[in-house]
Amino acid sequence: MISNLIFTTGIEMKSQLIFPFLLFIPLLILQTTVIPLFAFYNAIPDLILILLVFYAINYGQLYGTVLGFVYGFLFDLITGSLLGSAMLSKTMSGFIAGYFSNENKRDIYLKSYMFSIIVLLCSIVDSIVYSFFSSADLQRNFLLLFFEQGFLPGLYTAVISMLVFIIYPARRLT
Amino acid sequence: MFRFFSRTWEGYKEYIILVLLLIISLITLSLNQKPQVKKVRAIAFGTFASATSIISDIINTAKVKSENDRLRQTNAELMLQVNKLREHGILNEELKGLVGLKDTFNYPLIPATIVSKSLTKSQSTITINVGESSGIKPGMPVINDHGLIGIVNSVSEDYSIARTLKNIDLKLTVKDERSRVDGIMKWNGEDLIIVNVSKTYDVEPGDRIITSDLSSIVPVPIPIGVVIELSKVETGIFNEVKLKPFVDFVRVENVFVMEIVQSKQKNDLELNFYNRD
Repeated sequence: MISNLIFTTGIEMKSQLIFPFLLFIPLLILQTTVIPLFAFYNAIPDLILILLVFYAINYGQLYGTVLGFVYGFLFDLITGSLLGSAMLSKTMSGFIAGYFSNENKRDIYLKSYMFSIIVLLCSIVDSIVYSFFSSADLQRNFLLLFFEQGFLPGLYTAVISMLVFIIYPARRLT
Repeated sequence: MFRFFSRTWEGYKEYIILVLLLIISLITLSLNQKPQVKKVRAIAFGTFASATSIISDIINTAKVKSENDRLRQTNAELMLQVNKLREHGILNEELKGLVGLKDTFNYPLIPATIVSKSLTKSQSTITINVGESSGIKPGMPVINDHGLIGIVNSVSEDYSIARTLKNIDLKLTVKDERSRVDGIMKWNGEDLIIVNVSKTYDVEPGDRIITSDLSSIVPVPIPIGVVIELSKVETGIFNEVKLKPFVDFVRVENVFVMEIVQSKQKNDLELNFYNRD
């Protein structure tokens, strides 16, 4: 019984602490090398955010907020962007994504287009906050800023995130 | 008290953590310029960059071929553009000189462009795009900003052919600008020379040669060339003076025809190719 509990806790810990970081590194490499090649009107999808939303829905709001903070910190540190900007935006995104971490609806959110809508929402917030702190041009029209730096990358990320709910159910069902 | 905190924590832990993390993030934002932070970032960035460079190299290798093709095309386009600009530059320089020349001359000048050149060793001629309809007549001098090019020889409605200085049939009365010594200049098939210059005449290498006032064809002083050598003729009392023309006949493109009608009176006295024809 005790050994069973230790085993279960071990698996839980692995998926909560190790996998998010194991996945983070290759995704960040992809994000900084391959993904820019697919830029559409200077907007690129944010793979890190998709991963963050996925884990935030899976493990709750608190987990999502902290994971967002850590992801943001690593992102800022590694990519050389203004330290603190991605920390802020990813923390907020993780917090928002965590709102949808309802145990009864978790599978619905992860296995349907709802996932993309959540990603869209988080991505818009993330992009606007990030661009505001890292490269905000306050002289520009706010609506234009929202569209160019918030909505467009958000939409692109949401479209790419569809891959998650296309792949995810098949894995779970098997 | 503990229960209050415990209850608050239980009820609002997500918000408390959020606010805390946001505060930390904002503080971090203000620490960006600290040398320690910069150092840590440099290490992290450098380490990650070595990993990403491998991926980038792979991507770049794949992109090299298409980029190579694109660059080759751009290169060809730029080469054409540079050539065109160079052409315009040369033309511009030439036209600027001609405009300056036109302003200094009191004689009417008819602008023309050389449409063809026949630069043979003894019979060099040029065809210009002005003819009878423009008032061109045989005997009119063709010049550019460097000096005399030749004399119009035959004229059609819209085109004219001029003999250049490098034509054995063209002989002109010229003079040394410095010493005012006159002589007959001609093309011997190899060099532009002034023949029968007395050994006692003061002609030195480097002297500028211009058309003489005695000439019925070109009565105004127009530069022709510069003395480069005095060929000593062993026997007799005359020297041959070798000239280097100012005009580059190969490169010349835009010219003027001077509307000067030859003087009948002088023409009767002077030996030139019109008298020979």
